[in-house]
Amino acid sequence: MADVVVLALGLTVALLVLATILAARYGIWKEVSLSGARGIVQILILSSVIILMFNLPLYWSALVILAMAAVAGYTTFTRSGRLDRMLQAAVASIAVTSLAMLVPFFALGIFPLEPRYLIPTGSILIGNAMNVSSLAIDRYRGELRNRRAEVEAYLALGTTPRMATEHCLKQGILSALIPSIDNMKNLGLVWIPGVMTGMLLSGSDPVQAASIQVSIFIAIFLAGMIASSLLLYYATSAFFTHAMQLKDEAL
Amino acid sequence: MAGPHIELKDVYRTVSRRQGTDSASSAVLKGVDLTVYRGELITIMGPSGAGKSTLLRLINRLSEADSGVIRVNGRDVRDYDPRELRRRVGMVFQIPVVFKGSVRDNIAFGKRLWDTGADVDALAGEAAIPRELMDEDAAHLSVGEKQRVCIARALANKPEVLLLDEPTSSLDRAAAEKVEQLLVRLQSEHGLTMLWVTHEQAQARRISGYNYVLEDGQLCREHG
Ligand SMILES: Nc1ncnc2c1ncn2[C@@H]1O[C@H](COP(=O)(O)OP(=O)(O)OP(=O)(O)O)[C@@H](O)[C@H]1O
Ligand SMILES: [Mg+2]
Repeated sequence: MADVVVLALGLTVALLVLATILAARYGIWKEVSLSGARGIVQILILSSVIILMFNLPLYWSALVILAMAAVAGYTTFTRSGRLDRMLQAAVASIAVTSLAMLVPFFALGIFPLEPRYLIPTGSILIGNAMNVSSLAIDRYRGELRNRRAEVEAYLALGTTPRMATEHCLKQGILSALIPSIDNMKNLGLVWIPGVMTGMLLSGSDPVQAASIQVSIFIAIFLAGMIASSLLLYYATSAFFTHAMQLKDEAL
Repeated sequence: MAGPHIELKDVYRTVSRRQGTDSASSAVLKGVDLTVYRGELITIMGPSGAGKSTLLRLINRLSEADSGVIRVNGRDVRDYDPRELRRRVGMVFQIPVVFKGSVRDNIAFGKRLWDTGADVDALAGEAAIPRELMDEDAAHLSVGEKQRVCIARALANKPEVLLLDEPTSSLDRAAAEKVEQLLVRLQSEHGLTMLWVTHEQAQARRISGYNYVLEDGQLCREHG
């Protein structure tokens, strides 16, 4: 047992060092090594407190979920160029869509309303909404930067910023959803999802495990799509001045 | 006699250059004055980086002046709805950008947006766009053809003023001459007020009008 811990942690460190060396080629070794180290520490702490959290009263779970949404929103915010009001927009879009997707699972009784279901389900919804939103906002900014001439050509004809950025926004959402769409279409082929595997291992009926898995999967996809759409919608106004001028400092 | 159509008084514009985390700002326009009457055509020359594009962008308010006043029809540009200002003051850029869709969609853009009732086919004819190109994908056109589409597209807004930012500099000689003649003709036919930025002295001479030079952040009338 102790041997496995040592081996696994040793392997982790070795792999992270390798990842850092390769990342140096792209100038992101610092980000990769720090993120990796941070993740390792966090997971080790989480694994020892998660059982405690599951035993706390239910309202603690709500707090935990809100805290997760806040951290996720902040992470996405750092990808947005840290514009005014974007932190609130990122936290709100991720929190609202993830919570909205949680509701039916517990309201319909698909899962019992208990911390050990609420927290992990909330975590996958929030985590995915964060990933999709970060990709979307990063790509959206990139599109605006590269297609600035097009955006200004629209503005110069008297369009609103919303019309001028329509194509860039769509591209941002589309690119951000590529991994989710690919996962969805390869569900069960390339990708064997965790919830179902866990249920099967603990002896659940295969049909039941599969039905729950697909409902979660679609909810995850939807949460990502809605959260990123909301975020880019709000971001558009942050990229422009009141006089409908592209902000240089935003791009 | 009516007042000036476009008037700039003591206009300043500073841009900030970002280099990593540092940012240094430099004044590009330092007290620009300009008066243009309705139906006039003026050219603006000046070395690269002098601030010619910067100047034009202030007039349709794609950027904001730091100080000074810019008036269109005697009214401060800041008092217009920016969209309405930009409908009245059209712009043609150095590098033409066509929108997704056919040539016809592109030219009809402003007509749909503003319900101007512009005659798209007539405009295409005026801009010398062959009829058989009208339903082509605009992305496939040559640069010269794209620039003509952009000009027709600007005109479909029924503007009073046209700002031209080196409209022929990305074209080869033959295409440039064609566009140049087209613009001169359109200016008189539509009674447009035109501000034409060019880096070619010969072009400025060919285009009869008042010639200005932008240098050291100031605009001077060129004599001779
Ligand atoms: N948004 C901006 N951010 C930083 N610097 C800018 C910005 N816009 C313009 N500049 C700087 O202002 C100066 C004037 O630029 P501008 O494009 O107006 O020159 P120009 O006279 O049109 O030149 P060209 O003939 O090459 O088109 C340049 O030094 C340019 O680098
Ligand atoms: Mg220029």
